Amino acid sequence: MSDLLAPQRQPGDTTAPQQPSTAVSATPRTLWRAARAPLAVALLLVVVAAATVLLGGQGRPGRYLDPDDGSLAGGRALAALLRAHGVTVDRVDSADRAAALASGDRLLLVTDAFPLTPSEVGRLADLPGDLLIVGDTGYLHVLAPEVRANRERVRERSREPRCDLPGAQAAGSAHIGGLTFSGPRGAVGCYPADDKPTLLRYASGGRTVTVVGSSGFMTNQRLDEDGNAALALNLLRGKQAVTWLVRPAPEEGESQDDETLAGPEGKSFHELMPDNVGWGVWMALIALLLTILWRGRRLGPVVAERLPVVVRAAETVEGRGRLYRARRARGTAAEALRAGALDRIVPRLGLTADAGPDAVVSAIAVRTGQDPRQIGAALYGPPPADDAGLVGLAGYLDFLEKGIQ
Amino acid sequence: MALSGRAALVAALGVVVVLIAPQPGPALAGVCLLLAAGVLVDLLFAGAVRPLRFHRSGDTLIRLGQTATLQIVVENPGRRRVRGELRDAWPPSAGAVPRSQPVDVPPGERRRYTVTLAPARRGDRESVAVAVRSRGPLGLASRQGTHRAPWSVRVLPPFLSRKHLPSRLARLRELEGQHPALVRGQGTEFDSLREYVVGDDVRSIDWRATARRHDVVVRTWRPERDRRVLIVLDTGRTSAGRVGVAPIPLAGAVPRRGLLTPSIPGQSRPGAVSRTQDEALPAPGWPRLDWSMDAALLLAALAARAGDRVDFLAYDRAVRAWVSGASRTELLPALVNVMAPIEAELIEADAAGMVAAVLSRARHRCLVVLLTDLNAAALDEGLMPVLPQLSSRHLVLVAGVSDPLVAAMAARKGTAEQVYDAAAAERAMADRRRITARLRRHGVEVVDAAPDEIAPALADAYLALKAAGRL
Repeated sequence: MSDLLAPQRQPGDTTAPQQPSTAVSATPRTLWRAARAPLAVALLLVVVAAATVLLGGQGRPGRYLDPDDGSLAGGRALAALLRAHGVTVDRVDSADRAAALASGDRLLLVTDAFPLTPSEVGRLADLPGDLLIVGDTGYLHVLAPEVRANRERVRERSREPRCDLPGAQAAGSAHIGGLTFSGPRGAVGCYPADDKPTLLRYASGGRTVTVVGSSGFMTNQRLDEDGNAALALNLLRGKQAVTWLVRPAPEEGESQDDETLAGPEGKSFHELMPDNVGWGVWMALIALLLTILWRGRRLGPVVAERLPVVVRAAETVEGRGRLYRARRARGTAAEALRAGALDRIVPRLGLTADAGPDAVVSAIAVRTGQDPRQIGAALYGPPPADDAGLVGLAGYLDFLEKGIQ
Repeated sequence: MALSGRAALVAALGVVVVLIAPQPGPALAGVCLLLAAGVLVDLLFAGAVRPLRFHRSGDTLIRLGQTATLQIVVENPGRRRVRGELRDAWPPSAGAVPRSQPVDVPPGERRRYTVTLAPARRGDRESVAVAVRSRGPLGLASRQGTHRAPWSVRVLPPFLSRKHLPSRLARLRELEGQHPALVRGQGTEFDSLREYVVGDDVRSIDWRATARRHDVVVRTWRPERDRRVLIVLDTGRTSAGRVGVAPIPLAGAVPRRGLLTPSIPGQSRPGAVSRTQDEALPAPGWPRLDWSMDAALLLAALAARAGDRVDFLAYDRAVRAWVSGASRTELLPALVNVMAPIEAELIEADAAGMVAAVLSRARHRCLVVLLTDLNAAALDEGLMPVLPQLSSRHLVLVAGVSDPLVAAMAARKGTAEQVYDAAAAERAMADRRRITARLRRHGVEVVDAAPDEIAPALADAYLALKAAGRL
């Protein structure tokens, strides 16, 4: 029998696979053919980008609110206006230089473009002369301890002065917003947003301190809108000279962050680290790359396979059970259980399928000795009122079935 | 090319070198150059993989559950030794072992390597590629190449029910020879005359022979041979449902827990939780199709022994397989061969087309064994309207694999949740009984049995028909 059942080798089965093997991996030539079009596109992109940069002049980004910067973000227009009005503008990039210039007849402009450190802030706060703080410098509580900035920021938009400050009244509406302030007694607040001024001026210790919520109105871009130019000019020309603090120019090979991280000896983290560490990091990156290439290279192709669907045939029945359960369909469930029990019981009783309920009930009662009324209620009665009743019904039907073996 | 872990290790050591070197920049450049030179040397001096040739031999036909052993002979016509790794890439369900193995082929020589397949499901498995990685002398980098060396292994249905064949053949012999029947039916032929003994059917008395001899003589009949049996396998969507316990686990048959018991947040389902706890999720088993194939094979083996002609048709919306006129010895190999690649299609079977295909193929009266699911909805819309065409010309037997899980659900009534499930199961079973009764009213024989009983039950039904001379 085993020879009958054993699969017999068909002639076609053994001859077909005896083909010679052929190499299918890419040769250098095919690799070059596949790669040359993307390479050409990439090369073209690089050339175009380089040409754009080289021909498009300096690609230096604008330095925000720098009196020497002519870009949209710079402040050269305002500086020029000030100079035209006879005010000397001194551009300084450190607190030390600002302190060296400090005098009573001078206004110190601190903008949010200048990165402050706590020590610098302390020195700036003690300088004589007027003080104008524009935007969110983060050290308002040191520079102007009498003023408190409110937590919510307001949108920068054109606002009316609504105050007695002559400079503001003369300027009219201005593009202002950002921080709002609550100030000391006697302070003048202008350009209110929701009744909270975004510009506040007060006198303290013989000098005038002005805080403004945002600095955008001073940039070259915004200066000619609204009364921005007039407002900026009026705020700045109270004294003979203005000390304009700007962000220090980054030195060669040194990033801005290292500057701010400088320790007590003035040496940054980067300076204290031996050169080896930087090179070591590069070497580690190379090692990482090699590890990726090592682990990422597969031996041969990924083989995909069309698998048959895995679906249990009972899932539809389970789904119907869950529907009954979710809807608490006791009526339907009881009906199904009764029909199943009757289908099994009736033939055993020797009755035909079309026997009436009374005949069935009495026959069962005779066989099992149960109360006919109870049997009738279980088989033909109303659906159970709750789940416990349903479980009881199922159990009773099982009991009846077992009684009629 | 491919880099090795050694190259990454050298680079990692290079980190240490760079960290302690007095001049880190040149040290880094030196390490990189050294590494690049090593990789270059390896690539130059590694044995070439492109000219390698592969020759295969081994099994092409196995039964599911067996393992196939394949040999790959690697021929190295190059000038350098090829030493490295070899992978014969087979689909995951082919169960190829080992996944990759070391190779070492000296120049101008051949080496034989063995791959063993333990397929997890039926069908044709084909090797996609052979990939070789040839290491260089320093072990930093390798040449790598992929080759196409086609080989295909056909995994046949396991025919597990062949264990039932001896007992059924014994019953068949009983039917055929030793116990001639006294009942005349359509499928019987005249066997012999013998003396009347008390208890014989008086209708079988041969009066003419009785008149010739001075004794009462009765005719005996025996089941006629050379009847036709057409086994029709429904490969539509209802055959894809998995039932029972897979004797040989199919690939992907292990259910993912999270997939089958989705937790619905905000809805407490204590019943569902307890269900998964006390009754660990049943494995999905085998598709109905595979159980049906098993039954079909047993029936075919039995019918072939009984001298009947067996044809086989697999159909869903088109003919998937057709075996006709195979000789007794070739029948089973031919059947398993055409069955091997058949999978259940996830489409509704076209019953009208199936009946038309049967009618066009079976010109003479035959026993049409339809292996499908006794699914009330599918049969109501599909088979029932066209059944009379078939049953008027042929004897029809419908065999369906029932789901033991449904029976288990119907029997479990501990909690309210289980009772709802039991009600759903009762409803499904009632539908099944109803459709069975309707089929029987059409004069159709019905076999409805659990997965591991369907094959012997179908064989018994065939034997009963044969004994009754109804073929």
